[in-house]
Amino acid sequence: MDYIIQGLLQAFQLLFSGDAETYSAVAATLIVSSYAMAASLLFGIPLGFALGHFRFPGRRQVRLIVDTLLSLPTVFIGLIVYAFISRQGPLGQMGLLFTLPGIAIGQTILALPVVIALSATAVESMDVNLRTTLLSLGAGRRQLLQSTLWEARHAILAAALTAYGRVMTEVGISMMVGGNIKWHTRTITTAIALETNKGQFALGIALGLVLLLIAFVVNGSVSFLRKK
Amino acid sequence: MALYQLDHIIHCYKDQPVLSIEDWSATEGMITGLCGPNGSGKSTLLKLLGFVERPSRGQIYFDGQKADPFSQGVRDRVTLLPQDSYLLKRSVYKNVAYGLHVRKNYTHETARVQEALNLVGLSADRFAQRPWYALSGGEARRVALAARLVLQPKVLLLDEPTTSVDAASAQLMKEAALHAHKQWGASLIISSHDVRWLQDICHDIIYLFNGRILGRGQRTLLFGPWQRLDDNRAGKLLSNDQIFIANKPSDDDKAVAAIDPARLTLHLSDHEIPEGSNTLKGMLTSLGLEKITGAISLVVAVGEIEFTAYLTADTFATGDYRPGKEIWISYRPEDVKWYY
Repeated sequence: MDYIIQGLLQAFQLLFSGDAETYSAVAATLIVSSYAMAASLLFGIPLGFALGHFRFPGRRQVRLIVDTLLSLPTVFIGLIVYAFISRQGPLGQMGLLFTLPGIAIGQTILALPVVIALSATAVESMDVNLRTTLLSLGAGRRQLLQSTLWEARHAILAAALTAYGRVMTEVGISMMVGGNIKWHTRTITTAIALETNKGQFALGIALGLVLLLIAFVVNGSVSFLRKK
Repeated sequence: MALYQLDHIIHCYKDQPVLSIEDWSATEGMITGLCGPNGSGKSTLLKLLGFVERPSRGQIYFDGQKADPFSQGVRDRVTLLPQDSYLLKRSVYKNVAYGLHVRKNYTHETARVQEALNLVGLSADRFAQRPWYALSGGEARRVALAARLVLQPKVLLLDEPTTSVDAASAQLMKEAALHAHKQWGASLIISSHDVRWLQDICHDIIYLFNGRILGRGQRTLLFGPWQRLDDNRAGKLLSNDQIFIANKPSDDDKAVAAIDPARLTLHLSDHEIPEGSNTLKGMLTSLGLEKITGAISLVVAVGEIEFTAYLTADTFATGDYRPGKEIWISYRPEDVKWYY
């Protein structure tokens, strides 16, 4: 028990003394997760909206595939992305292996099905009277889509939060595609895994606390936005 | 020119026809009432007239032009208050101003929103900034109506506007709807179970049943089971042991009989009844006045069935028609219409 308490105390020391190694991992995590979330929301929300709003042949099959992709193991995504961006892979020339953009690509693949599936569910479960109301107030086709999306904003925010949670906490992609290179591609989760292996609990706990703090700030901001 | 002209309209939900109207028109500047039992097609008809749905077959003409949802000519002039009105997840002000924003009409927006809220009896100071979830059912319904009134539509379609609201809210909504008619000449088409209100304000009332327009005025509907009396006739035993007899071509027990009020004759004594008519003895239970047409509606209870008939004011004045009085109604069996 003592070593856990010692680890916790050292963790606070690391955080409050501005330990460079700790903050390097935090910065790497924030950068890759921001890239991944920006890309997954940019593509995921329109695709999710289309899947939930429009009726087209094959829609149910597409939905089944997206729902299945929700269970994609992170190590499998890591493996696939690694295969594509490693030197002998089709995208090997781009030099993405062991870089933050490389990790971001993998995390985008992880987050995209979450954003698509939950956005589609959000749009599908909108009140059936919304369309009637918007049309009866004179909305055109574009306004109908915009207003429907705006009405679903709370559920879409929840989708984004869920995806963010997966991205922030994954280890497999960061480890396989990023290589866990100190000062470069070491993220919070890969650092925790490494430090725990080394028996260095302090840094692991410190980084875990930072992860929780980030989650708290993000959820607090979303909660504030929901009241708007 | 007719405001609306419906030409061979059939509307289906999941391939099941729910509305079938061969030919119907509505005149500009009039108030038209729609009545009929639940599931008769009133809401569907209003959705088609409001151009929020496209009929499965047939064509609707608006102001003489073919019109569809998203037709430029109708979007700005027709608005519908649906039965389950939905408030957008934003403030009351933004809900009311939504239609103005859609039309990019920002002139005197604040004043217009305030005026619309005042029309439905909501103080702009107290309500404008309230979020959508901080309203009672009656207030939400009135905000939804204000969102339509602010547009000053040429046609205002109201689907059960006073259902599930308290008496005070209902009164305010009725007054606001009439204001639209009087102030800027809006044509109103209103579906309601409040027949007295419709009789008070409507120039015309049409009765719908099973997705079809049966005709003008309140109808009496009689549901099975039917007893076969002979080859041509079937009867329904009423609760006071009298039999409603009608010419019935088939043995379908689900058939519903309807009788046009114009085909019912009222008699103050049984001596006046003509040969060849069927007669039922009942009690006059209520009187109503259609203010616009001047016709007087009389409801006669025979057992548990209520028959509605109409008299002109002159005919009414010649007899002693008092609620509680015994009265005879006669009709010809061949005048009973059947719906399957």
